[in-house]
Amino acid sequence: MNVTSSDVILLAHATFGVLGTVAAVWVFVEALNAREQNAQRTRVAAWAVALFLSGAWILGGYWYLRFYPAERALILNGPWPFAHSVFMETKEHLFLMTLILAFYLPIVVREQLQANPAARKMAMCVAMLIVITGLAIEGAGAVIDHGVKVALLRAAAMGAVK
Amino acid sequence: MNSDSAKLNSATAGFGVAAAVTALFNTVLACAKDAYHPLLILMNGIAGHNWTTQGMADVILFVGLGLALSHSRAVERIRPDRLIMFLVAAVAFAGAGLFAWYLIF
Repeated sequence: MNVTSSDVILLAHATFGVLGTVAAVWVFVEALNAREQNAQRTRVAAWAVALFLSGAWILGGYWYLRFYPAERALILNGPWPFAHSVFMETKEHLFLMTLILAFYLPIVVREQLQANPAARKMAMCVAMLIVITGLAIEGAGAVIDHGVKVALLRAAAMGAVK
Repeated sequence: MNSDSAKLNSATAGFGVAAAVTALFNTVLACAKDAYHPLLILMNGIAGHNWTTQGMADVILFVGLGLALSHSRAVERIRPDRLIMFLVAAVAFAGAGLFAWYLIF
């Protein structure tokens, strides 16, 4: 088995992203059923979103700068160059928006959601925006991953022909 | 209390506007650095990579604008429904704008 630091960081990045997205679903459900009894739990969930997505940012950022250039070269020379030029470019910039929403969520849930329908609606909308953009980012990650795979498969097939 | 009469506190409203503005700024900056090469070089020089600089700029704008607006009386007058609509529209427009930019250009 040969697990490199690049593999560990990349998988940890994706895991933190998924956990942040799932925690945003948690916030949405808590806000939907906002009561005095679950106010503290909603705040914990909102901080979990911010912390998990911060972790995804730091790990993903480090991996992107340190390890991605080699994969980018592979993708751009492979059959799916759009995996980088469209999906990675969109993903890396869309993520920054999701991160800002994740930082905003703990501010929103400081309000008394059970007594303030406007704040409750805001919390649910922000949580849902994080879920939607988070899923789009995860999907883009899958396309990028496949871009590397088809590039390697083609390189291997060309090597076999030679 | 219904959602029409309910108000958001100044921090929620101020940082809500800041989040919407930052989402739009993020897309404009992503397009601008692609379209204007000297900006890309400048951003590469500030934090070692343009993406790192952009992330820092987004966070600084969100925190700075959010703090400034939180202390402003103007944000308290914004109707919550309009602010929510502005935020959702800004994120949708900015996200779709990013995808369209990289797809077309």
